Amino acid sequence: MSVMKITARRLIATTSVVAMAASVVLVGGVNSASAATAKPVTGGTLYFYTHASQFPNLDPQRIYTGRDIAFLGSYLMRTLVSYKPVPGKDGASLVADMATNTGVPSNKAKTWKYTLRPGVSWEDGKPVTCADVKYGWSRTFATDVYVEGPAYPLTWLDIPAASDGSSAYKGPYKKTGQALFDKSILCSKDNRTITFNLKRSVPDFNYYLTYLAGGPVPQAKDTADKYDLRPFASGPYMIKKYAIDDEMVLVRNPNWKKSSDPIRTPYADDIVVKFGMDEDLRDQITLDDSIPNGINMDGLQPANNIKFFEDPKNANRRMNNYDPYTSYLAANNSVGRLDCLDVRKAIFFAYDNQSLINLSGGLKYYGEMGDSPVKPVIGMDYAPTKGNIHDPNFKIGGNPEYAKELLAKAKVSCPEAYDRATNPAKGLVYYRPDTAGNKKSAVLVEAALKKAGFVINTIYKPSGTYNANLETYKNETDLFGSGWGADWANASTVIPELWGDGCCNYTKNKKTPEYAAFIAKVNLALVELDRKKQAKMWQELAQYGMDQYWYIRTVFGKSQQTWGSKIGGVYYWEPQGSFGFGQLYVKQ
Amino acid sequence: MLKYVSRRILYTTILLLIVSLSIFYIFDLIPMDPARLICSKQCTPALVEANRHRLGLDVSVIEQWWRFIVGLFAGRTFGEDGIGQFCSAPALGYSFPRHECVTTIVANAFPFTLSLAVGAFIMWISVGVSLGVLSARKKGKFADRAASVFVLVGTSLPTFISGILILLFIVLKFNLVNPLELGDWHNPFTEPIGWLNTFFFPCATLALAYAATYTRFTRSNVIETSSEDYIRTARAKGLTERVILRKHTLRAALAPIVTIAGLDFAGLLGGAVITEGIFGLNGLGKLSIKAVTQTYDLPIIVATTLIASTLVLVANLLVDITYAFIDPRVRAE
Repeated sequence: MSVMKITARRLIATTSVVAMAASVVLVGGVNSASAATAKPVTGGTLYFYTHASQFPNLDPQRIYTGRDIAFLGSYLMRTLVSYKPVPGKDGASLVADMATNTGVPSNKAKTWKYTLRPGVSWEDGKPVTCADVKYGWSRTFATDVYVEGPAYPLTWLDIPAASDGSSAYKGPYKKTGQALFDKSILCSKDNRTITFNLKRSVPDFNYYLTYLAGGPVPQAKDTADKYDLRPFASGPYMIKKYAIDDEMVLVRNPNWKKSSDPIRTPYADDIVVKFGMDEDLRDQITLDDSIPNGINMDGLQPANNIKFFEDPKNANRRMNNYDPYTSYLAANNSVGRLDCLDVRKAIFFAYDNQSLINLSGGLKYYGEMGDSPVKPVIGMDYAPTKGNIHDPNFKIGGNPEYAKELLAKAKVSCPEAYDRATNPAKGLVYYRPDTAGNKKSAVLVEAALKKAGFVINTIYKPSGTYNANLETYKNETDLFGSGWGADWANASTVIPELWGDGCCNYTKNKKTPEYAAFIAKVNLALVELDRKKQAKMWQELAQYGMDQYWYIRTVFGKSQQTWGSKIGGVYYWEPQGSFGFGQLYVKQ
Repeated sequence: MLKYVSRRILYTTILLLIVSLSIFYIFDLIPMDPARLICSKQCTPALVEANRHRLGLDVSVIEQWWRFIVGLFAGRTFGEDGIGQFCSAPALGYSFPRHECVTTIVANAFPFTLSLAVGAFIMWISVGVSLGVLSARKKGKFADRAASVFVLVGTSLPTFISGILILLFIVLKFNLVNPLELGDWHNPFTEPIGWLNTFFFPCATLALAYAATYTRFTRSNVIETSSEDYIRTARAKGLTERVILRKHTLRAALAPIVTIAGLDFAGLLGGAVITEGIFGLNGLGKLSIKAVTQTYDLPIIVATTLIASTLVLVANLLVDITYAFIDPRVRAE
């Protein structure tokens, strides 16, 4: 997802990715826990303002970003299971939402059962049923309509694959393979209990149900493509108006019952989101506190961000947290590329990370050096690794002398790789999207590596088609920058995806001698039912990959949030990497 | 005359077809893949292809263009059969990020752009021409020098600076408009005060740059015309300066200004990107810039580009026809 930082933020904001986490570290700003425990007040209008023209999506089967799940899940749509809406580590624990519990696994977590609470209803007063949940799930299979959302159900549900490898079920519109789908999700006679039958053990299946994509959609209200403009509400608010580039207005849902909802607290009478605000105007509103009951949904522009965060009078209107994303630089481990540990290590120690981070906003606001693809905010699956940034030879501004020593070692241990990395006629290849930001950072990268004796050829590729050509580029480049945010609080959505068989393994490590043992352990960890044991396995796997220097560098990103002086109940909802929207209220 | 007008309309139509085809080719060359852009992080090549099919980008550029032309006259269904979205003629496309027919989106945006263009036009013509005439009549005096300062400021301040300055240091500083109501639409006939509230400052921003240019232009035209023989004759006949100015000088001096003003106005109808963006006006300019920078919404980009070029071509056509009426020699060519 993210690629270096500016690109990364934009990508993260506009496309996929989702948050998760557990123990977020509050870097600066308000003590969110105490802010959240102040006595809330009912009434008033909550304003949100943003430069964006619209929400990327409102259709639950299309939504993938943590902020949008947090916002829409707090106000409009309920799910079977939710994260606990509290600050701190507890925020990553699961609580039952529409369901009576967080799920009952059986058959080694290949079967999961949920029962709907009595009284859960849609905005028209009709009860939410098992059939609605099943229908919601079926929409994810209509890949001819929905391509933006998470695709886990396609590989998890016990439905055979078609000859081309895709699911044999094609969704509720084409209905191809409908009988197969009907067997994979079963509803009880009273239409309240739902049973999911999976192909393999998925111990963290219930975490997926925190996604709106795992929630219900009433078939009678499904308008396919246009459902993205007016989803039917099951939460405490419903949509009164949604006009792209203008505003969204949410009003109270008269058919929502507090008795059926243990986690939502709808304080404000209505909620207004103003879209399309000029960035300078948006920042000025925040700086001047000219909308005291308003919340800035974006980050401030860099200069204004520093101005706002350095001014002590704004201390109660800001947060600076680790966000859910890790930026990384992957090494191409395939034969004839960076297939030499000493060379990879030499690059790692030669890198001038300080200058690169400074270029992007500094340690305080951009991010800090990481020691794993798994971020501390993920909770129990993270443990500090050994070596890499904890190695005594590591210097954040680069250590060219030590890098030279490693290169000298590589000259003996893997002469071919050494020759490629240092021979002026050959040299390392680094593909990068052709953007102004990348051109600036490339100068720093080239300078640092040259100081250590490397020869590096930066090749710029058109930024617009860069992502579309990743499959080709990843074979041709030695270094590949990108980023990742876990989908939920389990490294099962990080390590297999980035270093294993998942979507985004750019390390080309599958033919290395170290991979077989690694993937065998990954597959065991994925189905491990003992959560503590599983966490330990992820920690060991992270260490294993970092010891191989599959990643040259990782950076744990930060993000800042700001709001008006009349907003109460603010805290950072760690698993979603955003405000805990449901507890916000307007101070009287 | 009819033959001349028919010929001009035919040429304009052909030109529009060429322009529209060029737009499709230009956007095909841009290194951006809308099919990949809206695909999730779990996207596969098969999903990208399915998406490309849904967006109608899996056929040649010429076929895409032909479908567009057909849709203009017959309407068109976008997306998968059965669950596709039908847009009636004239179908400019379907915006998948906005889930709306582009014709509807454009129709909603046009009143903002029209209001801005009309308001700004009235301001810059009245201020620019008046100041230009005043400056010419008071040549070398204080009023002329003051007008020169205005021209200097107006032409040297780009709209993105003057707009931001007006917004932050006048509108917001003195609470002239609630920032949450900035850019709200009000019908000028039923809510004139609300309309003025929304459009006065954006129009003033846009008019500032144009008025400066028109001041200079009017001044030089009036001075030049004033030195013509027939003006001297009028003065010798004993006519008052006021009459000479109104009946003789202005009539000749303003003719070229009217022509240029028409073209400028037509250009503005295509959207004032910066002013609309700063003041939150959901006009064609803002629509197109957001389509480029936020969603890469190809149908909107194509439609707004085409509308802008159509307006300029139609304005040119009208100017040509007007000239033909005024000057019979043009018809004969």
